[in-house]
Amino acid sequence: MTLRFGVIGAGFAGGTHARVLARTPGAEVVAITAEPPEHARPVADDCRIRIEPSVASLCAADDVDVIVVASPTYLHAEHAVAAARAGKHVFCEKPLALSLEQGRAMVRACEGAGVTLAVGHVVRWFPEYVRAKQLLDAGELGRPGIATLTRGSFSVATARPWYQDPALSGGVILDLMLHDLDVLRWWFGEPERVYGKRLTGRAGALDYALATLRWPDGPIAHLEASWAEHDGFRTAFEVRGDKGMLVHDSRASAPLATQMAGGPAGPAMIPMTTLHETPYARQMRELVAGLSGGESRFVTGREGLRSLALALTVIEAADSGEVVRWRPPE
Amino acid sequence: MSRRLRVGLISWAHVHSPGLADALRSLDQVELTGLYDEEPERSRAAAAERGLALHEDLGSLLAASEAVVIGSTNADHRRYTEAAAGAGLHVLSEKPLATTVADGRAMVEACRRAGVQLATAFPVRESRAILALRDAIRGGALGRVLAIRGTNPGRYPGSWFGDRKLAGGGAVMDHTVHVADLIRWLLGDEVVRVQAEVGSYLWGLDVDDCGIITMDLAGGAFASIDCSWSRPRTYPTWGTVTLHVVGERATTDIDVFRQVLVRYDDSAGRVRHEPWGEDLNGRMIAGFVDAILAGRPVPISGEDGLRALEVAIAAYRSSELGRPVAISEL
Repeated sequence: MTLRFGVIGAGFAGGTHARVLARTPGAEVVAITAEPPEHARPVADDCRIRIEPSVASLCAADDVDVIVVASPTYLHAEHAVAAARAGKHVFCEKPLALSLEQGRAMVRACEGAGVTLAVGHVVRWFPEYVRAKQLLDAGELGRPGIATLTRGSFSVATARPWYQDPALSGGVILDLMLHDLDVLRWWFGEPERVYGKRLTGRAGALDYALATLRWPDGPIAHLEASWAEHDGFRTAFEVRGDKGMLVHDSRASAPLATQMAGGPAGPAMIPMTTLHETPYARQMRELVAGLSGGESRFVTGREGLRSLALALTVIEAADSGEVVRWRPPE
Repeated sequence: MSRRLRVGLISWAHVHSPGLADALRSLDQVELTGLYDEEPERSRAAAAERGLALHEDLGSLLAASEAVVIGSTNADHRRYTEAAAGAGLHVLSEKPLATTVADGRAMVEACRRAGVQLATAFPVRESRAILALRDAIRGGALGRVLAIRGTNPGRYPGSWFGDRKLAGGGAVMDHTVHVADLIRWLLGDEVVRVQAEVGSYLWGLDVDDCGIITMDLAGGAFASIDCSWSRPRTYPTWGTVTLHVVGERATTDIDVFRQVLVRYDDSAGRVRHEPWGEDLNGRMIAGFVDAILAGRPVPISGEDGLRALEVAIAAYRSSELGRPVAISEL
């Protein structure tokens, strides 16, 4: 039994998911929509799928079982709720939503309709983060004392307009730091208290944020998220327990590097992958397994809601200048 | 030959004492008058090994000198500074300036009253990379500096550094002040508010070994310091000093002690760094001595040491109270 997917959005995320799904065993991608619909043309041609004229028509399509919500963040809630009401399972790109109210409405709509809500916290499928999780869970690092995580990319000066408006994208904490906040919850469980700083809205298209989280018995974690990394995408982390330390730096672990005559090849959101199965492909394989009734570790809507809430708490700390106690929703 | 300054070295307690002695001996403008140390056995061994004149009592060293360099435990900085100032000598103290704000203020006041100069040992200011960054900031190449993430993680240094009475604390006391000083000096700005999470998770100590400090500067920039003793025993060197500086027009990374050979040492069973960078202690002491000889203000003052110490003290208080602490509260 093949699961049939429809995709909302044809930007970086929508295009990636459609192309991945076209090659995922047990899945088939049948349709895509975008605003305006013609924006979906390159992806539709690549995947040989039809373009639906609207979100409503995609949700109403009889040959679609699962909707991938890869529209701009501020539209996630509207689109996910529409899909759930049409009885479709929903895979929503991160962040789940812009606000807790929106996120809760999405979880309620999916649970009420008896459909699955999954969230694209894809970093949980990056092998370096998975390996760290395995070593932490096995106690190989001993008691965790300190963890520092960095994630950086270009300024959003050349991104689409909605991305440049923190009211629509959530800024660098909700859009980017969220990944590492989710990783920290996955590695260490729920923290106790949160502090943060952010530039959001003060430096044009540049954004930069720092956060410090504390768990009751360790670790202390420090996060850095940047839209001021002018050389391009970068991730790094250090995890130190009392038995050892792990160090990751994406710039030091790229097995392939090409220099173009005449200078850099131009901006790329994410570095060229050097894995046979990309984290995006692995993410969809897990989702398909889960929706087919098999064992799966896809990230649920409720998990996505908690990580969203944690990012909103960092923003609250940054904007109030106070340390905020973390209370997971529900 | 131009005049030489007679400089004595007080105490062999500090891990930096041998480096300070070597630097003092290497400088043409210094006549090293010898060593006074509170532990007779240790001082005899040190004097013999380094070829230093040994003074059995402090008064004898002070009588022979015009200035002293203090390499004692942190807690002893005050009493040695007061003794030297009382004898009319200029003082260069190891960092942190003292273990309490009251002691630091007393040192500044004692030297002011005696009409001698007090300097703090912040040799990282002498790094060519740091000086280049300062020039770039002053020349406007970075635009306005918006945020800095600094790190000074190291191994637990052992001995009295884990003794609260002698050191005044752990990693936060040891490793906050270098980066706090760099940030103040690079930006020409003052820290006004400090938040921190401090813990003891890694080395089984009575003092802290993990700390993340976040600071507001008066001019609106924010910055953080990872001051943890997080480098494992197997780390290839004692630690690092790094700055990630986000400016309106450029983002800069500095790794002060990156000038190393990586040495794979079968006989030691480990990998280690062989530094080939310049001697920063020598340059720092030369700056101090040249200023004294010329009757100019020393480049890194006791007030500079006090400002950096205040950040460490505020960090401890913030972590304990679970809220940010204003420097004006100290």
